[in-house]
Amino acid sequence: MMNGVNTRLSGSFRDPSGFLFYRDGVLYRQINQSYQEHYELLMSSGLYRELTQVGLLIPHDEVDIPPADSGPVYRIIKPEVIPFVSYPYEWCFGQLKDAALVTLEIQKMALSHGMILKDASAFNIQFRNGRPVLIDTLSFETYQEGRPWVAYRQFCQHFLAPLALMSYLDIRLGQLSRIHLDGIPLDLAATLLPKRTRFSFPLLTNIHLHARSQRHFEARPVNSDRQVKRQGLQGLVDNLESAIGRLTWKLDDTVWADYYDNTNYSDRAIAHKSELVAGYGQKVDPKTIWDLGANDGTFSRAVSGNGTPVVAFDFDPAAVEKNYRACRKNHEHHILPLLVDLTNPSPGIGWSHKERMSFIERGPVDLVLALALVHHLAIGNNVPFKYLAAFFAETCRSLIVEFIPKHDSQITRMLATREDVFDTYTRDEFERCFSLHFSIVEKADITDSTRTLYLMTR
Amino acid sequence: MAFATAISLVFTETAHAYIDPSSGSYFLQILLAGLLGVLFTLKIYWRKIKAFFTGKGADHDERR
Repeated sequence: MMNGVNTRLSGSFRDPSGFLFYRDGVLYRQINQSYQEHYELLMSSGLYRELTQVGLLIPHDEVDIPPADSGPVYRIIKPEVIPFVSYPYEWCFGQLKDAALVTLEIQKMALSHGMILKDASAFNIQFRNGRPVLIDTLSFETYQEGRPWVAYRQFCQHFLAPLALMSYLDIRLGQLSRIHLDGIPLDLAATLLPKRTRFSFPLLTNIHLHARSQRHFEARPVNSDRQVKRQGLQGLVDNLESAIGRLTWKLDDTVWADYYDNTNYSDRAIAHKSELVAGYGQKVDPKTIWDLGANDGTFSRAVSGNGTPVVAFDFDPAAVEKNYRACRKNHEHHILPLLVDLTNPSPGIGWSHKERMSFIERGPVDLVLALALVHHLAIGNNVPFKYLAAFFAETCRSLIVEFIPKHDSQITRMLATREDVFDTYTRDEFERCFSLHFSIVEKADITDSTRTLYLMTR
Repeated sequence: MAFATAISLVFTETAHAYIDPSSGSYFLQILLAGLLGVLFTLKIYWRKIKAFFTGKGADHDERR
């Protein structure tokens, strides 16, 4: 018998071992009978306990509730919920690299408990308290001596290929993961990567020869009686680990320096702005915050004083990388830096447009910060104020927004090489359009600058 | 007979995988694992030898 209204998660359909569903607003995972043997080994071998203790696997409770469908159900579990779901194409280089290393660490621990990862999808990793964690409890299966690793191809496509492309060619190639949801095809990676990567043993083997082997055996079974010994699998994982470990993204000093030089603020202005942001934040007392155009997260930190979770979005991979590294270094577990271009935010993609959520779908939140952002969208991307106000109204209940007048040096710079077609870019028009969706609660001019900060609520 | 058993072990099990492991990926993995397995074994022994002389315990890799 089935009770309550069940909403199956639209991205949870590939693995016949089970699926996720919501009932009465609570997230559950149904485990089917076909997975019983593997689940029992996961729990009895000590693997679940070890992985959850070190924060590498999402913990769950077994619950006694009716199943979501009448199929061959074995058990229902209630996993801990990830507050904000993010996707690999929204991660910076460091986040994808950490997610890859965590996947390999989990694989090593699984092998030591007689299990193995049956998939290695980057979508199975989420960031919880600033660290990557495996969220798919059904990713393990009993290890059978001699059997190759089923997820080897998937690991190379989801992790190694994009990281190598980002490291050797251009950081923006991480966005290929948004088009290729099952990872970057290895023949594409092999074509794009510079010839010198053939002199790196892990890249020569795991990407170049791998791609060639895939092409050679396309639609043909492998006629081999050879198996993969446990030591061989361990060697393979070790090799992948060293390949990933060696990939880096070095930002040159000028890029880093830009963040301080281009902010257009004096120290006094920054201090006043931080104070205003923190004060407005306290008035709202939010449980969830998005900082849109967060740059290196300076104001995410100001608004989240007591550790309120903030998702800090920026379109610049260097800013997100810098923010992520700072969060790791300073143990700021409540800040999740992510890469999102608001002029083209993550859409709903995958099967039926519903497999991966759009940016907007993951809101609304209690508070949005839009600091030094509006002019980028209104002038840099020609978005009218009324569209901007409607967009923010969809994302939040309260808004801290900064207005920068046209005579500010940053806007003067933006208009230096183009015609000024922005007659309606005025403070009055800004206030009028935003008042269609919000009430202006407070506003204050920022000391030592031309800019104004607003607190608005819906 | 041993050959037939090995074939069936590899490919019968493959049929249960819900993702496509790709034939070419399997082939490469089998070759690569043969080589890397030897290197990995040497690495572990090297660590044990080093641990013996330095007096430090071999690292956690051994438990794998």
